[in-house]
Amino acid sequence: MTQKIAALISFLAIFAFVASSAVTHAGGLEIGAMAENFTLPDTDGKTRTLDELKGKNGTVVVWLSAQCPVVKGYKDRINEIAAEYQAKGINFIGINSNSTEDLNWVKSNIGEYGYKFPVLIDKSNALADKWGATVTPEVFYFNAKNILIYHGAIDNDRSGKTVTEAYLKSAFDATLSGKPVTKTKANAFGCTIKRVAE
Amino acid sequence: MKHVYLNWAKAAVVSAVFVLCFSSVSSGQAKRPLPKKAAPKVAAKPALKVTLVDEMALKKLLVPNGRPLLVNFWATWCDPCREEFPDLVKIDQEYKGRIDFITISLDDVENISTTVPKFLTAMKAQMPPYLLRADDENTFIASIAKDWQGGMPFTALYAPSGELKYYREGKVAIPMLHDQLNKLVAAAATTLPDSK
Repeated sequence: MTQKIAALISFLAIFAFVASSAVTHAGGLEIGAMAENFTLPDTDGKTRTLDELKGKNGTVVVWLSAQCPVVKGYKDRINEIAAEYQAKGINFIGINSNSTEDLNWVKSNIGEYGYKFPVLIDKSNALADKWGATVTPEVFYFNAKNILIYHGAIDNDRSGKTVTEAYLKSAFDATLSGKPVTKTKANAFGCTIKRVAE
Repeated sequence: MKHVYLNWAKAAVVSAVFVLCFSSVSSGQAKRPLPKKAAPKVAAKPALKVTLVDEMALKKLLVPNGRPLLVNFWATWCDPCREEFPDLVKIDQEYKGRIDFITISLDDVENISTTVPKFLTAMKAQMPPYLLRADDENTFIASIAKDWQGGMPFTALYAPSGELKYYREGKVAIPMLHDQLNKLVAAAATTLPDSK
């Protein structure tokens, strides 16, 4: 009898673990869904909102990390794309949801990498959980009406040496010229976001 | 008989003198600083060889060879990958001979003979190590598992039939992996005699 109870408890424990791990990052924001306004502090502690930071032609929310080498590999491309398309009315917002990176580290990293757009601190990774962001770098591109039209990788080569598919830029160019985005999702290769619950 | 003893004695004296002379020369040499090239050679342990593969070669690697196949995608720059590695080495030891286990590094190619083998050596990892050079990361990720969003580590377990039985993005849940491995190993053990 004791063995049966122990076996049942083990089964329930494993089931609970599987269920919890399966739902942790499941779902998220789907293509075509509208982003609700969010409020997060920037690195100076000032409260910022999506509504305040969005661009007139769209908004890119990009998950970043101070320590991730993949982000480091992308920083120049992120800065170039942000500069090019912010001039065309598409604003960039960086998000840091890594519980392992403290504010000072994030601030000094922003200076080192030269981001010219606000980086917000998602300390409890609530936004990452809500939208289903899992890695860095990972982008969510919304049109002017806050509808998600592209989600995932910036391009298909983290080294930047052999990029054959510039997903994010293609999505920008399509929407800016009034055409539909052909590729709306591409898996983002990168560093797993270090969530507080992990 | 006496002559024999004398001859033996002479020979012993000559040998002793020779040995003394030789040893004094040797010790004299040993006192001088040896040039680097003349340093005694210690048999160096062969460096761990990490095999570079492309996406085509990876596809072949992911075909099980009659046993369950466990695959771990990792990188030296990935904190959770490094954290879980000791557990994976234990898994390899525990299931040796009953499963095949390979590791696929997603480090940059220039690390194939530096940081990657250094880490694997420190971990005492005996799983065959590979490093993947993917031309299209998005295509590669999607080809492994449709739900893999690109985060690492990523661990996949294939049945001998090639069916993907279990996968995990992020650090692997060791009790869950044990459970899956035991199931597959048990199934493989009952299947084998029938197939003969």
